[in-house]
Amino acid sequence: MQTSDHMKWLRLAIGAVVMLALPQLVTSSFAIDIFIRILLFSFIGVAWNLMGGYAKQLSLGHAAYFGLGAYTSTIMQVNYGISPWIGMIAGGVVAMLASLPIGWLCFRLRGPYFTIATIATAQVLMLIFLKFRDFAWGAEGTTIPNLGSAPLMMQFEEKSSYYYVVLGLLVVGLWITHRIEQSWIGYYLVAIGEDEDAAEAIGVNAPKVKRDIYMISAFLTALAGTFYTQYIYFIDPATAFSFNVSIEAALVSIVGGIGTLWGPVMGTVLLETTSALLQSWLGSSVGGIQLTVYSLILMAVILWRPTGLIGFATDVYHRYVRRKPARA
Amino acid sequence: MAEALVIKGLSKRFGGLRAVQDVSFTVQENETVALIGPNGAGKTTSFHLITGFHRPDSGSVLAFGHEVVGLRPHDVCALGMARTFQVAKPFGAMTVLANVMTGAFLRDRHVAAARDKALEAIEFVGLSAREQTPAKDLTTIDQRRLEMARALATQPRILLLDEVMAGLNPAEIDQAVALVKKLSARGLTIVIVEHVMRAIMAVARHIVVLDHGQKIAEGAPKEIVENPEVIRAYLGSYVHPPAQGDAHA
Repeated sequence: MQTSDHMKWLRLAIGAVVMLALPQLVTSSFAIDIFIRILLFSFIGVAWNLMGGYAKQLSLGHAAYFGLGAYTSTIMQVNYGISPWIGMIAGGVVAMLASLPIGWLCFRLRGPYFTIATIATAQVLMLIFLKFRDFAWGAEGTTIPNLGSAPLMMQFEEKSSYYYVVLGLLVVGLWITHRIEQSWIGYYLVAIGEDEDAAEAIGVNAPKVKRDIYMISAFLTALAGTFYTQYIYFIDPATAFSFNVSIEAALVSIVGGIGTLWGPVMGTVLLETTSALLQSWLGSSVGGIQLTVYSLILMAVILWRPTGLIGFATDVYHRYVRRKPARA
Repeated sequence: MAEALVIKGLSKRFGGLRAVQDVSFTVQENETVALIGPNGAGKTTSFHLITGFHRPDSGSVLAFGHEVVGLRPHDVCALGMARTFQVAKPFGAMTVLANVMTGAFLRDRHVAAARDKALEAIEFVGLSAREQTPAKDLTTIDQRRLEMARALATQPRILLLDEVMAGLNPAEIDQAVALVKKLSARGLTIVIVEHVMRAIMAVARHIVVLDHGQKIAEGAPKEIVENPEVIRAYLGSYVHPPAQGDAHA
């Protein structure tokens, strides 16, 4: 136990050094942009994974919280001059509160019906913000006033600063997931995902556990929304409540391995690098070919490795490195 | 002896079907009672009604004096009444240990304490060798053992076992009977739904017979096997051949 603990800390320390040094070593703005996208979608995936992965409540409506986070901080900043750092937390709280009635409605449904209901909630919010002209700029959206270098307003001249912000978010998300995974809540979530009736029968208050984890998941997703808006200096309902955000959140987790700590990160690294590389190799030759290849890779992963990359890596590890039955 | 479970006038309809009609019976503390009857008699529905999975249309269920009708299943479990399912419902992706720990968390949220309680329950049902096995890889009898260990980890006073012997071979039935007796020796009050008559005779001191949702007989095992009503329910009668739609025997 002692040595494996030391190994774990050593690996974490090396990982931390590499991640901190990365934007200093690779200075191309294009590369840093890709790193930021990877960290951002890893973080969204981690937030989604808490509910979608561990408790297997497949939401395709997390754009609702991404958008609420983005709009809350932007409205506070543009209309009232409040720092997005505060707006970010406020957005998280708004998303958390919104998750209560949304969850109350959607959790009545199970399986695919639940998923469809979550899609609808994100779409309804998008429509509301499209019509919300006086308060939230309607369909045109708005740009965020550029203040140059203003760290207190979450605006930086160096792209690498954004990198560190989103890296911080991801670390928080992973830390929360780790704490949950190691506690009774983690067991309860997996039990609910496996069989809700059996979980209830042994004393799991499934509605309450689902509600609570949905709140945490919504809170974290909203933080990503604020960050993204600050990063691209623009907001409109179509980007903030984009269905792509909902899909990406689920996809990176499913590809990487749902219900695992590192699954969403692995999935994002694979999908984002593949998509970026395909874009630069094939994007200029035949229009749309990169999307076709991307989709084929996606199908292959889901068909042959339904447990995701983490499941695949664990199998290989146990088969060739350490002969031990896989642990759930 | 105190009354552990008092069921009075329990009724439930599903559309036009009267699944359970005015069923009453009482289980004394540390007694093992069997609930028997032909297929569709309302045994499993009764379990669902007692444990909060279905809400009865009328009637009351008192567990150690607490009314449990209207409570959700997890509240019923917290009151000290645990159940197993007719079709075992293991958390397939989790190990045996993790399954049982999930039950133990009801009484103690600390991982180390829950692990100790779970290990004890796993040993009690004889599943120690499978502790690290994913639940989906267990054999039928081991899945039943797991269900019992998981229920046991919630520290119940009343245990409801729904056909724990279905699908077992004769040798396994003997093991399961021994396990139920061991649970009873531990002081648990047990209600068991079962089709295997040999097992019922071995474990139950008192039998309640349901047919078409109604209680048709109640008594000691000896009285029950000789009761003409019960024989008619299971085998049909010579005098009146069963009409169509009634031919369940």
